[in-house]
Amino acid sequence: MAPAPEVGGGVRTEVQKHKWLMAAFLVLVAPALRAQTGATYFLIVGGLGGEPDYEQRFAAYVKDLEQICRSAAGDPARVTTLSGKTATKQAIQAALDSLARATTPADSLAVFLIGHGTFDGTTYKFNIPGPDVTGEELRGLLDRIPAGRQLVVNATSSSGVCAEVLARENRIVVTATRSGTERNATVFARYWVEALRDPAADADKNESISALEAFRYAEEKVKRFYADQKRLATEHPRLEGKLAASFVLARLGSAAVAATDPARRKMLARREGLEQQIDALKYKKSALPAEQYKKELERLLLELARVEDAIEAAGGKQTTP
Amino acid sequence: MRRFLPLALLLAWPLTAEPALEACREHQEHGRRAEARRCYRAMLEAEADARRQAEAYWKLGDRKRANESFRAAVAMRPKDAAARVAWGRLFLETYNRAEASKLFQEALGIDPQSAEAHLGLALVASEGFESAAVEQANQALKLRPDLTEAHDLLASLALEEEDPKEAVEHLDRALATKGCPLQAYALKAAIDFLAGRSSSEWVTKALAYNPTYGEVYSIPARFFVITRRYKEAVGLYRQAVALDPELWDAHAQLGVNLWRLGEEAEARRHLETAYRGDPYSAVTVNSLRLMDSLKRFKTFSSPRMVLKLQEKEADLLRPYVEELLGKAIETYRVKYGFTPAQPVQLEMYPDHEDFAVRTMGMPGLGALGVTFGYVVAMDSPSARPPGSFHWGSTLWHELCHVFVLERTHHKAPRWLSEGLSVYEETLAGEGWGDRMTPDVILAIKNKKLLPVAELDRGFVRPTYPAQVPVSYFQAGAICELVASKWGFPKLLAMLDAYSAGRGTEEVFEQALGLKAAEFDKEFAEFLRARTEKVVTSFEPEWRKLMENVVRLAREKKFAEVMEPARRARDLYPDYVEPGNAYEILAEAMLAAGDKEGAAREQERYRVAGGRSPRALKKLAALDSELGRRDDAIHVLGQLLWIFPGDEELLARLGDLLLEEKQAQRAVRELESLLALKPIDPAGAHYNLARAYYQLQDREKTREHLLEALEAAPGYRPAQKLLLEINR
Repeated sequence: MAPAPEVGGGVRTEVQKHKWLMAAFLVLVAPALRAQTGATYFLIVGGLGGEPDYEQRFAAYVKDLEQICRSAAGDPARVTTLSGKTATKQAIQAALDSLARATTPADSLAVFLIGHGTFDGTTYKFNIPGPDVTGEELRGLLDRIPAGRQLVVNATSSSGVCAEVLARENRIVVTATRSGTERNATVFARYWVEALRDPAADADKNESISALEAFRYAEEKVKRFYADQKRLATEHPRLEGKLAASFVLARLGSAAVAATDPARRKMLARREGLEQQIDALKYKKSALPAEQYKKELERLLLELARVEDAIEAAGGKQTTP
Repeated sequence: MRRFLPLALLLAWPLTAEPALEACREHQEHGRRAEARRCYRAMLEAEADARRQAEAYWKLGDRKRANESFRAAVAMRPKDAAARVAWGRLFLETYNRAEASKLFQEALGIDPQSAEAHLGLALVASEGFESAAVEQANQALKLRPDLTEAHDLLASLALEEEDPKEAVEHLDRALATKGCPLQAYALKAAIDFLAGRSSSEWVTKALAYNPTYGEVYSIPARFFVITRRYKEAVGLYRQAVALDPELWDAHAQLGVNLWRLGEEAEARRHLETAYRGDPYSAVTVNSLRLMDSLKRFKTFSSPRMVLKLQEKEADLLRPYVEELLGKAIETYRVKYGFTPAQPVQLEMYPDHEDFAVRTMGMPGLGALGVTFGYVVAMDSPSARPPGSFHWGSTLWHELCHVFVLERTHHKAPRWLSEGLSVYEETLAGEGWGDRMTPDVILAIKNKKLLPVAELDRGFVRPTYPAQVPVSYFQAGAICELVASKWGFPKLLAMLDAYSAGRGTEEVFEQALGLKAAEFDKEFAEFLRARTEKVVTSFEPEWRKLMENVVRLAREKKFAEVMEPARRARDLYPDYVEPGNAYEILAEAMLAAGDKEGAAREQERYRVAGGRSPRALKKLAALDSELGRRDDAIHVLGQLLWIFPGDEELLARLGDLLLEEKQAQRAVRELESLLALKPIDPAGAHYNLARAYYQLQDREKTREHLLEALEAAPGYRPAQKLLLEINR
């Protein structure tokens, strides 16, 4: 790998290196998630492919997701994977029953459904070995889980209909399609998995990838996929729910550790204050002369950078194991 | 571009002896339009027969009523083949070849001896440059040797193949019939004009017969268009519309060809005139619509070039297109000893159908680029799925046409112009140019290549589906042989000889001291030596081998796949399509932990012409991992000529260039990345700031850092650099 750039490149260089290698192990996270929201539990279900090509693809996505989620959960016991023959209705029910017993309102739950779905005009079904699971059945099972923040990512065809079926106050629902009538096999899962591994998905560079950032990344990639391939887009991803920006799925560095360090609380408060000032300034951007805006922005950014330096110096740069 | 225009209306019922109509037709044929109109109107009032009414409406310009009357006529007389033929001609005139063809076929079902129905089918086929045109016209003449229009059509087809001698024979036969002589006069005039004469006695004869017969110019103009001599065509079309301002197709063609010369404003005026007179013309409507959409294009002008790029991708493409176009102009200027007299205009269309309309006025064109002279139009890199075409190679190919056409005043034959372009693009870079496809191999095996003297036919009127690409390959290989055996200057000498009006036989004798047929023998031997291995092993050996290779790769039997994959690769090295032996070998080597071997194999794939962005990015990643950053930069740099609109490619290349302290180039790639509106704008701005920092451009560094931090205030590396420049 190349030496670090002249200044300030150390962390970024590491990130870039891994970005290009598409390494999965940037997602170093468990303590962070636990510290913020209690524990995060994951359920990954890979449905039927129907033909070898899809079977292989779905299996690969499930495997990659499992790896990412294990890293994120910290404790592998908090990740349940059902794929291929094991992904039966009975097994899904059992897994969700188990999560209903294990989680508390302080916890978070993320459920990923990979595969094909169908919609007959009335009912959505997730295609699995044996009897399929319907959208309503999934809702019933999820509603019994006490985890206070829930994310359901349904990456299947026709999944759009689930946005309404699964909607609940504390639940984010991400679907690969806009509605139940977008019935073609989807590519959304591929880019969702990619989002959780690619630092480029971290749009605000806070070293964590939220559900909202992952969604925006995957949505854009899906759009480009169809545009590049000169194909009519047969899927339009959808996100419902208010918690997506704060539902962190992966952290790429030490931000969470810093946030919990009482010794640096004062500096952290200063940082938060500056961030709020920057947000307020950005809000006024169109009303200010360009030069004045730029000057003020630079002043605040410089100050924020100095505070970050001080935080770092006080605690040393930490990374999660 | 219609072969024959309103005159055809006169010929639709040449055998129908109907006195009521004859007088009207007589006026029409001799250009007495007012009388003809009065005659047809009077006939409409007096005539109850639907078929005659149809003709009257048609001649009076009411095609809708003509169509309704034909429908009624056919319903009343279901066994009347002639009515169907006439109705078919109406559809042909209104550009509906499918309906026309159906009616001609129905007519033949009723009357298999209908020469007019065969002629109709011949005209349909000729509009699509299909070889069936000649067969159907001959069939018509077998049934009716005095069918004037069939002789005219055969003459026209012969002229399309640049065979004036045969054309004259057909025209003499046409003039010996009792039919209308006007088309034959126009075609004879075309022969004179194509031979370089500035006037023709046949124009005088035609105008004496019908003083408003504008087709006497528009019919010759069409042959100048076919031979890409657009300036001459425009001159003739101008004369045609001056003589007959209601010659709508000539207005349309004048518009289309003025546009080809870059005269957009005047082109629009004629296209609008054409539309007012003939709203059925898809060419006119499509061209006008495309002109409207060009408002969304940006134009960049300099003394040497004019670029027209769609606004959404202009910022991304401009630096690459300018670089390559400038390099091509300079290379060809020196090599072909010709300095362009005006800027070269390049238009790139992200929608392939727009490019097709720009080229032919109609969608559905298979080509990637076309050169009209100083104006070049082509698909932009985003017009096709990534990896499916090499836009750099296409641009290089088209630019060669600019120099060849302009150097020879558009007199180079198609085969030589295409051959030189194919030859040049292959020389332009590793993996540039086209590969030998299975179609080419089969054409060689089945001895389907044409003698050089007839090679233009392979481009103009192919007789089998793959003949056009096969002809490209053959023409390119011919140029390669001439350059390697006799030297490149001989190719220039051939261009000069064609430019001076010599025929192919003379050109070969003069330039190479060989008869064309002798050259064909030389070429056959050259090709045999180059292709024998792949031609003899392609079927069944290579195909069976590849079936096995693909099966083993699917089953992930990587150890077993190595040997057959190597054999398949060596038998047919040009095969770089999906499922090729190179990529399978690389995958097998990676599975065995042999990264060096995998990189070597992927590099072979690249040099052989492999264009999959995924595979090339994989190669660059391997090169990086193996510490060969220069190689990685080279591979990714080459990928820019295939598909530059790839965020990952630009970001990777930008990073590598920054690491290698090639900041100036990094700026270009990172600016392009920003033009793509990347998913990670903060990262892109930060890297651009790094590049400007390397270039010691403090202001630009600051500007991009603020952009990065505005999007992501907590972005530590950007914060650190901001502190650094403020220290």
